[in-house]
Amino acid sequence: MIPLLLLLPLTVPTLASRDKTTGVAPGLLSKYAPSSGDKWSCLDGSKQISWKAVNDDYCDCKDGSDEPGTSACANSTFYCRNDGHIGSTIPSWQVNDGLCEAACCDGSDELSGVCPNRCREIGEAYRTKRDAERKLRKTGAKIRSTYIAYAHKEKKRLELLLQSNVQEIALQEKEVERLRDIAERTESISAAALEHKKESPLYQSIVKHSNALKSLQREHKKHLEREKALGDILDALRKGYNPNYQDMAVLEAVRGWEYLAGLPHINDVGKEDSEAESDGEVKEVTDEPVAEVLEDGMWSEEDLEKNLDPLLNTDYVSLLLEHDEHVQTPASESVLFDLASYIPDSIYPQYEEWKDAVISLLEKLGIVKPSPDAAAGFTDSSKARQALTDAENNLNNLKRDQERAKEDMEDIFNPEGFGAEGEWKKLDGTCLEKDTGEYTYEVCLFGEAKQKPNHGGSTFSLGKFQSWNPNSDVPVGSPDFYSKQTYKHGTRCWNGPERNVILELSCGLENDIQSIIELEKCEYQFTVTTPALCLPLEPENGKNVGKEEL
Amino acid sequence: MYSLKLLGALVLLISVPQTFAVKSHDFKTCSQAGFCRRGRALASRAKEASSWASPYSIDLSTIEIAHDSAKFTAQVKSSLYPDVKFGLDVRLHTDGVVRVRMDEIDALKKHYDEAASWALISEPKVSKSMKWSVGKTEFRAKFGEGQEFEIVVQFNPLKIVLLKGSKEQIVLNGQGLLHMEHFRPKKVEAEGEQKPEGMEDAQTVMKVKPNAWFEGEDEDAYWEETFGSWTDSKPKGPESLSIDISFPNHANIYGIPQHATRLSLPSTTGESPHFEDPYRLYNTDVFEYIASSPMSLYGSIPILHAHSADSTVGIFHAVGSETWIDVSHATDKSTETHWISESGILDIFLMPGPTPADVFAQYARLTGTPVLPAHWALGYHQCRWNYISSDDVRTVQKRFDEEGMPVDVFWLDIEYSQDHKYFIWEPKNFPDPVDMINDVAATGRHMVVIVDPHLKRVNEYPVYKEASERGVLVKPKSGEGEYEGWCWSGSSSWIDFFNPGAWDWWKSLFKPYQLASGGWSWTQSTEAVHIWNDMNEPSVFNGPEISMPRDNVHYNGWEHRDIHNINGMLFSNATYQALLERSDPPQRPFVLTRSFFAGSQRFGAMWTGDNLGTWEHMEVGVKMVLANGIAGMSFGGSDVGGFFGNPEPEMLVRWYQVGAMAPFFRAHAHIDTKRREPYLLDQPYKDIVRDILRLRYTMLPVWYTAFRETTVTGLPVLRPHYVTFPEDKNGFDLDDQYYIGSSGLLVKPVSEKGATEASVYLAEDQVYYDYFSHQVYRGSAKGKNVTVPAALHQLPLFIRGGSIVSTRERPRRASTLMKRDPFTLRVALDKKGSARGELYIDDGETYSHRNGEFIWRQFFADKRKKELRISSKDLAALRPSDAVDGVALKTFNPANEFAKSVSGVRVERIVVVGLGSKPKSVKVEGGQTLEWEYTPGAASNDKKDGAAGILIIKDPATPIANNWEISVQF
Repeated sequence: MIPLLLLLPLTVPTLASRDKTTGVAPGLLSKYAPSSGDKWSCLDGSKQISWKAVNDDYCDCKDGSDEPGTSACANSTFYCRNDGHIGSTIPSWQVNDGLCEAACCDGSDELSGVCPNRCREIGEAYRTKRDAERKLRKTGAKIRSTYIAYAHKEKKRLELLLQSNVQEIALQEKEVERLRDIAERTESISAAALEHKKESPLYQSIVKHSNALKSLQREHKKHLEREKALGDILDALRKGYNPNYQDMAVLEAVRGWEYLAGLPHINDVGKEDSEAESDGEVKEVTDEPVAEVLEDGMWSEEDLEKNLDPLLNTDYVSLLLEHDEHVQTPASESVLFDLASYIPDSIYPQYEEWKDAVISLLEKLGIVKPSPDAAAGFTDSSKARQALTDAENNLNNLKRDQERAKEDMEDIFNPEGFGAEGEWKKLDGTCLEKDTGEYTYEVCLFGEAKQKPNHGGSTFSLGKFQSWNPNSDVPVGSPDFYSKQTYKHGTRCWNGPERNVILELSCGLENDIQSIIELEKCEYQFTVTTPALCLPLEPENGKNVGKEEL
Repeated sequence: MYSLKLLGALVLLISVPQTFAVKSHDFKTCSQAGFCRRGRALASRAKEASSWASPYSIDLSTIEIAHDSAKFTAQVKSSLYPDVKFGLDVRLHTDGVVRVRMDEIDALKKHYDEAASWALISEPKVSKSMKWSVGKTEFRAKFGEGQEFEIVVQFNPLKIVLLKGSKEQIVLNGQGLLHMEHFRPKKVEAEGEQKPEGMEDAQTVMKVKPNAWFEGEDEDAYWEETFGSWTDSKPKGPESLSIDISFPNHANIYGIPQHATRLSLPSTTGESPHFEDPYRLYNTDVFEYIASSPMSLYGSIPILHAHSADSTVGIFHAVGSETWIDVSHATDKSTETHWISESGILDIFLMPGPTPADVFAQYARLTGTPVLPAHWALGYHQCRWNYISSDDVRTVQKRFDEEGMPVDVFWLDIEYSQDHKYFIWEPKNFPDPVDMINDVAATGRHMVVIVDPHLKRVNEYPVYKEASERGVLVKPKSGEGEYEGWCWSGSSSWIDFFNPGAWDWWKSLFKPYQLASGGWSWTQSTEAVHIWNDMNEPSVFNGPEISMPRDNVHYNGWEHRDIHNINGMLFSNATYQALLERSDPPQRPFVLTRSFFAGSQRFGAMWTGDNLGTWEHMEVGVKMVLANGIAGMSFGGSDVGGFFGNPEPEMLVRWYQVGAMAPFFRAHAHIDTKRREPYLLDQPYKDIVRDILRLRYTMLPVWYTAFRETTVTGLPVLRPHYVTFPEDKNGFDLDDQYYIGSSGLLVKPVSEKGATEASVYLAEDQVYYDYFSHQVYRGSAKGKNVTVPAALHQLPLFIRGGSIVSTRERPRRASTLMKRDPFTLRVALDKKGSARGELYIDDGETYSHRNGEFIWRQFFADKRKKELRISSKDLAALRPSDAVDGVALKTFNPANEFAKSVSGVRVERIVVVGLGSKPKSVKVEGGQTLEWEYTPGAASNDKKDGAAGILIIKDPATPIANNWEISVQF
């Protein structure tokens, strides 16, 4: 048996200073009173305990309600009155842990004497900050109201545009009808003849050539894309590999690529630079590429890029007919039309004017037939068809414009578009930039975000506008909803995801990128200020102030 | 942190993306290392020979026996080279460990003989009580308390046997594979002579080498060796060391970490071996290592346990050079090992056991026990490559607090530093480092910042400049100037901590204040910053096997090959000393190292390096942590979530369970991965992980108490079955469940996708309780597998009947905020209705515990007639000399300063588990009657299963630091 002396002290005095209502939020104070027989019921009604078990630093109730003033129940909360400031609620696991919580400026969360009451200074700092924020918001809200006004104006403009478009579409539709009628008539006359002509071996061969060329072009494009991708990979390898790590396979790949791409050896680049710096002159690193000599009639790379598509878009039927004409009727145009070749360059413009005048005069007099494309009489069906196609295209463009304008109209005051008040419309296409040293980042709102290197290299897309705050917990149209934008499907990273951006928006007087961070590879976060988020202050009244809680 | 981003990028570009693969061809196999090739060839010649006898024997005329101690020396000669002499030194330590040393005498050059001086804490004391009896063919000596052990040194051929009773425990050179290559001059052959035209083949055949039966025909890779594009100049020629160590009566061996494989080491040679290559010890930075391989990894500890139901013995070979170990089993009762080292001397410690606990103690007396960590270091560590700015760190901290997820440490990987000049903050992203650290420290938390051993070779980097001026950098093979290699920082040089001049200088760097000397110091830090030492294998991107050339030169002219495996330990050792000296009074440093050697446990924690986010890696990580514990490195863990890859939520949850049940609990992620901080998880995963984190924190008293024990006894914090039940053969291969210290907590981490239940092995006729549900599981004396629920939110954790577990159950933001919190005692009754448990606490930060400022309690629950008596007794007063590491206290003052500071800390709850009947009353002896609540259920001594009967005693308010008794009356 252990001598009794050693057993002392028997128990630890626990938080005797805690009042039964310590930590109880004002709204619940009435519930913290003993019932008859000094009993008390847990707030969830699950259990009845003795009144002295309330705030005794031992958790009795499942809902934690018996310990509002201690840390005994993990799921409980503690209310700090913060006299002189604003009351606040903290989780019970912040109670009596030896730390003075900023949220509990009166220090009531810790045993007395541990934390000083700092509510005066904290309250003052809070108010100063709040006032500054309010001022900012007030000014920002004024700018925002101009955005809203802009949206209304824009809406009107679109409405007018839509109206005028409607008229124009009607006219154009009539024109299309007329042209279709002509085309169909001419076509019906020549359809049989055309079919026959199409059997010409020449025509057949041309169509075949054309198809072959189109296929080649498609394959060529694929190869170009592949080459570009391979080039990018090799560039990354060239820049990123460790030259000291003597992996011959890698070195050969780099050297080979440098030769193919006409690049200097990467190891020499730095040296050249430093030598150049010390010499005070810039050395030409690469040899001039030797220009390729082309055979007569062969297309250069540039020609291919520029002219192949128009060539492939040739209307072969028209061509066939023109060919026909060309073969059957030798030049029939009068000297007048050929005269141009004899006119000296110096007086050519005057000649043109004179010619137009003469021809129109002759036309009026019926001496010459008007040129086929300028008058109603078509010389062949394909030209009629061409005119129809042009007219149809024109109509389609008009209709598309109309659609777009309608969409814009719908988006302007759409909470998921430019906001319920249209406050974002003004920023549609506004581009913001930030120079971070190595790169300049750009985001064109509702458009695309980009990373542009400042010292050469290719620009990467960081993604296109995708959505407002994608978090489904955030209600559409709430300020939180507009505090985030996502831009997705940018250029893919090496073995990584497609680049994307999250824009964190907040109220500010300027549309401005504050910071850019890459939280994880290829995921960028831009913090952006904009007046569009400066909501007008709600009118202050007693109710709101009373509710205020941190 | 990790390695080889560049190589990684190459691998990924060249191979199909998403496939993880080690670049095996970057690392040698045995057949690519000349000395290993020679060693294995020797073994196969011995095996194939009709008769084989070791050429080594003791020269009888040279034997000298110390007259006052159990030590003798003799010369050993080899019949291969009659002119070459070796000195043998055999001695018995006071604790029964036998040390066998052999080095070449009057050699042309010197074999590296300093490995032991870095590994051992001090020169062990030689026994004075043992007497050698000299026979005609051998020496014999009995020792041990009951003279149960005997050491026999046979003269010719040389063979050393440790016996227990009459059973052979350890046999050195029993197979005659001992070979110490002596230094020899390099033969310079005239060119004409060397290759007579057309005669090469005939010439070789005709030249019969007299020693070929033993050494082989060729001088294989004696003087130069090429691997990949690297050539090792080997200026000293062949100097390798081979020794066979057999355990004729032990079928299981454990240890020689670090390898990604099972705890009970599979065979590498003999009949149908599991692995083809020997286990390799050569510290390497292996990119995306495979989850089952004998390949070497970041750390090496040449110690192993050989175990059988009869006894456990251990071998520690103090060798710092590359070492390969073949393992085979000639019979299913025996194990043979063959150790092949590139250089160094033979310096083997035979640890006689005979229990696992004895071997741990014997090894701890040699190389020291793990250092007692700061209490906060046992909390949760949040790491990522990289938190990109000081604001990022602040935001992460804020998010943890908003979610009520406890965390103690925020980590910064290499990107905090400007151009990877460690210590130097990248000014754009970390403009206010001290403010940031203070913001973290304001919540009682700490930061760990990485400092690697490679220094960027630019003169504007003061650390490099000072190291260069002091001449404390590793030298290239010429022995002149500075070795230059490639690492994170680009062109770099490496500090040579073998140079004593490096130490004081290194210590000065960490001072958070301006130095009077004008030297550079880390003024942009505070005492809340602790250190992560990575890449200390050393990792050299452009070096052979991603490390340093072996012919690099260290202090005193030793070649890198001699000290390679020790190198990493010196770095963490120096950093540990630096942090220790940073503050007055000293605060316990936290240093995490990736590379380690025997003795590294004295300086801090390790982790299993750059693992992959796969189920296989999660699983093998558990085994690796167990294996490291066998070798003394108890404070270990693997990266939660896996370093590479993006684990799905289920895997991440399981990994948090694994991590929370490991001594070192850190989440980490590669720079290419998605963010995966636990607050980012969706429900229900987020709540599950919050519960796991909080569980870890409630169990901190258990972990800390287990750490106290290992710092005194060397017994590992995580105990595999063979350690806890040395006689239960069923458990010898078990490595997927373990006990936490002596707490009686049994953990079975689940690392299987989609698991809903798990099978747990119970080794004894005892009752076990589910920690959470108190479900009863009854074991059997023959051993028994029970199936337990293991859905994703369920971690199979059990309390062994007879244990009392102390916890602190109030969630807090950080462990440092729990100091005032009350304790809960979980009393798990055993079959006889009793239980006991331990609790150790101190201030958790300083070394005042070595002055007796702590409390060490023992709790009892004793069944008496109509009473269960629960009591707290002062264990420290009972066993002061066993209480803390580093000092044997003579007395203990229960009213010490620390005990006083926790006088207000009480027991707030006692949960008695397995109580079969409802009590009448509960009261504090000599005090008040207590409130309680009883839930009927199975009793500890029932045959029944189901939920156990539970008695919850409400707020006894008994002080944790005092003696008290509580009587439960029936």
